[in-house]
Amino acid sequence: MPDLQSSGIVAPTVAAAPIRAGARRVRRQRMVALIALGSALCLLPLVLNNYLQFVVNTMLVYCLVAVGFNVVIGYLGQLAFANAAFFGIGAYATGLSMVHFGLPFPAAMVVGTAAGGLAGGLVGLPALRVKGYYLAIITLAVGELLRWVYVHVDKVTFGSGGFNVPDIRFFGPALGDKGKYYLFLAAVGIAIAATSLLLRSRFGRAFVAVRNNENAAASLGIAVRRTKVIAFAWSGLVVGLAGALYAALNGRVSPDTFGLSQMLMHFAIVMIGGLGSLVGSIVGAVLLTAAPELLRNFPGLEEIVFSLLLIGVLFFMPMGIGGLLAAQIPFFRERLYREPDDA
Amino acid sequence: MLDVENITVRFAGLTAVSELSFSVKAGEVFTMMGPNGAGKTTAFNAIGGFVRPAEGAVHFDGKDLVGMPPEKIAGLGIRRTFQNNGILRDMTVLENVLTGLELDTASSFTGAIMGLPKAGRAERESVRRARAIMKEMEIANLEDRKAGDLSFGQQRLVEITRALAAGARLIMLDEPAVGLSPSERGHLGIVLRQLASTGIAVLLVEHVQDLVMAVSDQVLVLNYGKKIAQCPPAEIRQNKDVLEAYLGYA
Repeated sequence: MPDLQSSGIVAPTVAAAPIRAGARRVRRQRMVALIALGSALCLLPLVLNNYLQFVVNTMLVYCLVAVGFNVVIGYLGQLAFANAAFFGIGAYATGLSMVHFGLPFPAAMVVGTAAGGLAGGLVGLPALRVKGYYLAIITLAVGELLRWVYVHVDKVTFGSGGFNVPDIRFFGPALGDKGKYYLFLAAVGIAIAATSLLLRSRFGRAFVAVRNNENAAASLGIAVRRTKVIAFAWSGLVVGLAGALYAALNGRVSPDTFGLSQMLMHFAIVMIGGLGSLVGSIVGAVLLTAAPELLRNFPGLEEIVFSLLLIGVLFFMPMGIGGLLAAQIPFFRERLYREPDDA
Repeated sequence: MLDVENITVRFAGLTAVSELSFSVKAGEVFTMMGPNGAGKTTAFNAIGGFVRPAEGAVHFDGKDLVGMPPEKIAGLGIRRTFQNNGILRDMTVLENVLTGLELDTASSFTGAIMGLPKAGRAERESVRRARAIMKEMEIANLEDRKAGDLSFGQQRLVEITRALAAGARLIMLDEPAVGLSPSERGHLGIVLRQLASTGIAVLLVEHVQDLVMAVSDQVLVLNYGKKIAQCPPAEIRQNKDVLEAYLGYA
């Protein structure tokens, strides 16, 4: 092939080998960091009181909410706002299958997750036809429609007052907050790991390719419509699982929880955390779950801090916290492939 | 290898391409030129499955392409670049080239989410293949750069590398010289000749005269959707119809 270096087309900046050595070093650092983080998270309940334990459990649920939402709005780049609806479907399907059919929680959790995935796939269908603001409006309407169903099909859903979820047992006695924590930690860990693997495979690359240029994606052999449905279904699945955990967290499910303010919360989390960033999703979820709790003693301040945070982040770091971290520190850069060991 | 037979493409009554026929052989650089709006890109889109011709047939190795979706046509070994830059801006160069290997990466969905060894092997093999072709095209050192941050010349090379990654047999380039400096154009020409010499068929839409004259085996000139000439590049300057189309006199 031609000598392009001497022509100046290709600047001989960094040789390829050091890039890969750097990639391997970062990967070792990440392994160490993951093990350290995992151990710390396993020991965390030892130092938490009941109140803090509940807050941390809530954080775990919202980590999943944010990761699932980011798949569609960040990676696939579709303005779809049915995330609170998937969250509600997961919670309702889980709770109702326990109440009506007496399913044990593990089985009900599977039902809730599957219901979320199914809802995701269905909401993905209009996204094959409409884009942008139109898709945003349609998907927002899905959430409001479901809320109407929760309120009015009260024979099944117990109407506007909602219902109590039976005790949460995972092959044993009823779980307290600490027991739920370990259950949530395992579920969230597995779901995020699976999502991370998905994003670093040809599927994740197809998501981003569709976001960047649908025609170019198709010309490379990517089935654009199938890719969209896959992303929506996976997003719904992950958020449906979050909904299942939410039912377990609160022990109560009611329609008002899954309205517009819930959707705004999800949106703020991924915008502040960073579109198209897993680390950002997690950081955003932790921050925005903690903020209301920290400000609980200062009534009225919560909304102000919340707004300032959103404005500040969008103004000073449009790519969110995750984007800023990725730009500054190689450790936080997320890629769409897995580095081979022997490269 | 590629046989276009009498295709006509209409958009709401406007005939963009009219009864166009031509053939491209393996190892040949075949150039389509013509004034703006002559129907060059439309002809490309008809071959690639992005628009459906109202009449006529497109055959690739004897297979009829009309009615096939673009991703299926890509699977047959036809790859293209885009006039307005088909680069995937947010991805790195390596990720762009890997995306070109979509159909050759055999990882299943369940394999991917569970991180199964088989899917992992397929993914790793693709990373190796992408790096090998990047090295061959001398863009290996750009691997970790965001494609959107590169110069036009580099982006064009990334697009071509990505098109080649999966072993394309016909590569279609839509005005690849736009925004390139003279030295970048010169090297693009060398790259295209090298591709043809390995037996790849190159179908080029291009205005830039020095590039067209230097690389083409055959030149086809379109005007108002119709073929007005087809000949080797040396003869094109003497063609009366071509001069008329471009300069308005004969």
